[in-house]
Amino acid sequence: MATASKSAKRRFEIVENNENSAEVDDIIEAQVSDNADDSTDEESSEYSGLEDEEDDSDDEDDNSDWEEGSDEDEEDETHNMSTNEDSEDDTGENKVRPTAVPMIQDGPSTSTAQLPTSPVEDEYAYDSSDEEDLRNTVGNIPMNWYDEYPHIGYDLEGKPILKPKRGDEIDNFLRKMENPESWRTVYDPQTGQDVILSNEDVDLIKNVMGSRIPDGSYNPYEPWVDWFTNEVMETPVTGRPEHKRSFVPSRVEAIKVGRMVHAIKMGWMKPREAKDDSVERHKYYLLWNADDKSEDVRRIENPIPAPKPRLPGHAESYNPPPEYTFSDKEINQWNRLADTPYQRKFPFIPKRFSSLRAVPAYDRFARERFVRCLDLYLCPRAKKMRLTIQPEDLVPQLPKPRDLQPFPTVCSMIFKGHKGLVRTISHDPSGQFFISGSDDQTLKVWEIATGRCFKTFEVKGTVRCVSWCPNSAIALIAAAVDNNVYLINPGVGDRLVQAKTDEILKEMPTQTDYLIPQRVRAVLTWNEPDKVQWASGFRVILTHLKAVKHVAWHSKGDYFSSVMPEGDNRSVLIHQLSRRRSQLPFSKSKGLVQCTLFHPLRPYLFVATQRHVRVYNLLKQELTKKLMTGAKWISSIAVHPGGDNVLVGTHDRRLCWFDLDLSTKPYQALRHHGQGIRAVAFHKRYPLFASGSDDCSAIVSHGMVYNDLLKNPTIVPLKKLRGHDKFDDFGVFDVLFHPTQPWLFTSGADATIRLYT
Amino acid sequence: MAALKRSMINDECQIQVRFVTKQEKYALPETPFTIPSGIKADSLSVLVNNLLRETHESGWDEVDFDFLICGEFVRLPVFEHLKLKDINTEVTIEVEYLERFPAPEPEDSLNHDDWVSASHCFKEWILTGCYDNTLHIWKTDGTHKSTIPGHCGPIKGVRWIEITGSSATFASVSHDQTVMLWKMNLETYAIECVHIGRGHERSIECVDVDKNASFLATGGWDNMLKIWAATSDSNSSNEIDDSEKEKGYSVSSGKSLRRTPLMTLPGHKEAVSSVVWTENNEIFSSSWDHTIKLWDAELGGLKSEIVGNKSFFCISRSPLNKTLVTASADRHIRMYDARSQEGSIVKATFTSHIGWVSTVCWSATHERLFVSGGHDNILKLWDSRRQSESPFVRHDWTRRQNSVRRLVKSFSNDKWGYG
Repeated sequence: MATASKSAKRRFEIVENNENSAEVDDIIEAQVSDNADDSTDEESSEYSGLEDEEDDSDDEDDNSDWEEGSDEDEEDETHNMSTNEDSEDDTGENKVRPTAVPMIQDGPSTSTAQLPTSPVEDEYAYDSSDEEDLRNTVGNIPMNWYDEYPHIGYDLEGKPILKPKRGDEIDNFLRKMENPESWRTVYDPQTGQDVILSNEDVDLIKNVMGSRIPDGSYNPYEPWVDWFTNEVMETPVTGRPEHKRSFVPSRVEAIKVGRMVHAIKMGWMKPREAKDDSVERHKYYLLWNADDKSEDVRRIENPIPAPKPRLPGHAESYNPPPEYTFSDKEINQWNRLADTPYQRKFPFIPKRFSSLRAVPAYDRFARERFVRCLDLYLCPRAKKMRLTIQPEDLVPQLPKPRDLQPFPTVCSMIFKGHKGLVRTISHDPSGQFFISGSDDQTLKVWEIATGRCFKTFEVKGTVRCVSWCPNSAIALIAAAVDNNVYLINPGVGDRLVQAKTDEILKEMPTQTDYLIPQRVRAVLTWNEPDKVQWASGFRVILTHLKAVKHVAWHSKGDYFSSVMPEGDNRSVLIHQLSRRRSQLPFSKSKGLVQCTLFHPLRPYLFVATQRHVRVYNLLKQELTKKLMTGAKWISSIAVHPGGDNVLVGTHDRRLCWFDLDLSTKPYQALRHHGQGIRAVAFHKRYPLFASGSDDCSAIVSHGMVYNDLLKNPTIVPLKKLRGHDKFDDFGVFDVLFHPTQPWLFTSGADATIRLYT
Repeated sequence: MAALKRSMINDECQIQVRFVTKQEKYALPETPFTIPSGIKADSLSVLVNNLLRETHESGWDEVDFDFLICGEFVRLPVFEHLKLKDINTEVTIEVEYLERFPAPEPEDSLNHDDWVSASHCFKEWILTGCYDNTLHIWKTDGTHKSTIPGHCGPIKGVRWIEITGSSATFASVSHDQTVMLWKMNLETYAIECVHIGRGHERSIECVDVDKNASFLATGGWDNMLKIWAATSDSNSSNEIDDSEKEKGYSVSSGKSLRRTPLMTLPGHKEAVSSVVWTENNEIFSSSWDHTIKLWDAELGGLKSEIVGNKSFFCISRSPLNKTLVTASADRHIRMYDARSQEGSIVKATFTSHIGWVSTVCWSATHERLFVSGGHDNILKLWDSRRQSESPFVRHDWTRRQNSVRRLVKSFSNDKWGYG
């Protein structure tokens, strides 16, 4: 008891404190003062054992007087009285743990449980509402609204129902320990009372918790009455035997059937076909006509899911890590990319908020939803067969240039001496010298090893083409200068050969029984040089009608050809040196002839016009092949020393490799030059070829030709050799390989000749 | 951290060295010294000079030294050099020092009218061949003694054969496909052509004489190597070629004797660019066909072959260390040893020229020095122990050393070596 009084004191103090802190309404103060006056006891006897409890606590209690406001029927009151009398201390215990039986904290249900007897009808007599407990008139509201007040509601007369006194926690606990009924005591929030559940209530709760029918009076195990049996009975209900007729087949039917059988046999009647009613029953049809398309079928059978939206990352967080928030630099970058927002790192600027509460409404929501819908709507839902082919796989496996050495890579020597652009170069058969022809109207013979210019021949005119006789038994150079082709003894190399050449050319062979054809005579004359010219090396002069652009020797050194592009149908001439005769092999003009070349081994002549290269058999005097370059303007051709491959350089920047065994179309076309190709050349020994172009570069490539007919040539571009300067839109004019070394000579418009090794 | 530690070690590391030399006058006591590992050659030189000054009471003139560790010159800081050579730094290292070879200076310029294609020095006499078809004789003091016309093509090779008493013989080869044997009186400078060797079908590129001065070997663009008698005896046929008379071949006496090769060594597939006669009567010939062939001069047979991958322009063999250096159609100088059994292995490559190297020549007196000249108009002096260039050399140094036989072919007019 002492402890209880102590706790009561303490509670009072707390209330006083509340007063001091002025947090409690004036009403409360008034009530408290009433309490202090002890004027409350007159009605306390009407209701609830709480007053008893109050009395038990002996001390003045602030809350006890609130109970007076609750107006109860006398029956209820007495009933409550009786229960509360049973469990005085329990209420206090229930106060400690009001949620001990949370399921039945709803006021109405508990109250019904409390009131199993008659007064229900009375209730309806005065109130039509469903509420069964009308002691408190506040209605169906959260009762915690009254938490701060001393009362818990109002009775029918409008008086506040005061909250029953809640004892000290410890007292309640102790009381609960002592009270055997505490387990069935619950708190009624509607009235603020503790209610002791009856046995029926407890059973009902147990039934509900056990998922049984709540009504305790219901017996689920009542005896089964089988009114309609499903068992088949052994004996019939009637004992009458079947008629005899039922065992004998019908004679009428037999006759009928016999007739039908006869009719079927005779073919008068056809049996009805069995009706396949399954077809009738499942009659499907296409709702939309386009379903039979493969794409639609695919869409049904193998649908492609919509693309997934990007998952949010740390940057999307309301409180992103500092590394995701933008620095000033990043903000500047963001602003810079205003025109191209797709280049931004994020589509938004990550922002930090201290709490989720502080995050404002997402302003881009509608926009993003719209974009997403647009994505879904415009997304092509077709399956695309993507070929996973790496571009590298399409490139043929070519050997590395490193493995294809030797080939020229660096400029080793520059031959300076000419004053005009150097149009043409040609080497002597041994590779000790080469000759160059230039626009400065000179031919120069150079020693390759030292770069020394050995001789200079003055000619009157632009040197268009120069060609050293490939036969080492003759020391001769053919040079096309304007309308003339000069045969010049260079005066270098073997002195014996020089002397022999001079001897041969000293006198015209007698042409007794040979009459120069009219056609030839009209375009060409063989002239002897005068003494001065002879002394300076000129041996024979062939004067043409038109300008000669190209000369080429046959590999034996007896025949050579000259080309006058403007000579119409007489543009190609073939000359025989030993007999000093010329012939015009073609009677018809096939186009503007650019150059001619002799096949190195067989009696073929390659004639390059602007568009095509024609291969003529000189013995049979017929056209063997016509190579289709597909180019607009052929500039130069070169024949592989094996004779089966032809290289064609064109002014439209293409270098075409023809394999004569394969087809008349280019085996390979290389477009590595930036401008038109001026010259092409094969190496005699190494598998190399080169092309020189107006873009001031020469390209050296590996071109291996195999003896095996099944194996196609390997072509690998190796190196672009630059060095020449541009002059008048011209770059490299001629390219020439050294006969024995992997060295390349290029002559350029900058009046120099360069040696690359 | 590790790098820092290492660098600290580098900085603080001391190594023990012992200085040794083969030059007696610079000998030091064999006490080991501790030196910081980051030291360079010039600081080492100062150190050695200081040590020498201490040992020589009678004053000491500063001498520049070069240092060799494991047979290679020290050009990097010592530590890096050791690291590069993978030498243990924890033992005492022997450092050999020797007087630094002074960078040669040009002494004089012997001016010609045209490109000088060949030269040879013998005693105090210099013989040069020129592209204007003339031969020139000079003395080492720079005085021009004689101009010899005679060839009708540019001279490609010259060679002193013998200088005995007051007479000298020399040979010259030319683009006109002839070898000419000349005799000169050293007092009167009377020069006569004693023989004209005919037999080559193309221009002759090179000539060399054997140690007894009795045979000549020539090689040329006809791919042949030919051996000629070098003696100027007059008991062979006295017939004078008419055509030669016409062309004015014979110079002074008109007694020019035609001579044919004693032996022809075919084998090269392309031009023979250089020929060297050894003291063992063997001939090395280099060719544009990427080979160097070793011939037995007595039997006339091929003994061995070195195959390179570029055309050889010039070879030189040192009689002192018996190795070959070669100049080929690139900027590298390669060293071969013909005696090795392993085939054509390049023993060393010397790269510093920026153009083709046209000529190389070993020193006749120094075992490890050679010079090279290239199309980049630079003559370089090399020490074979170090594979980078020495201070470059001008041709006059070669005269002083009396060793270079053939100089760089100048590619600019009128001057030797340089334009």
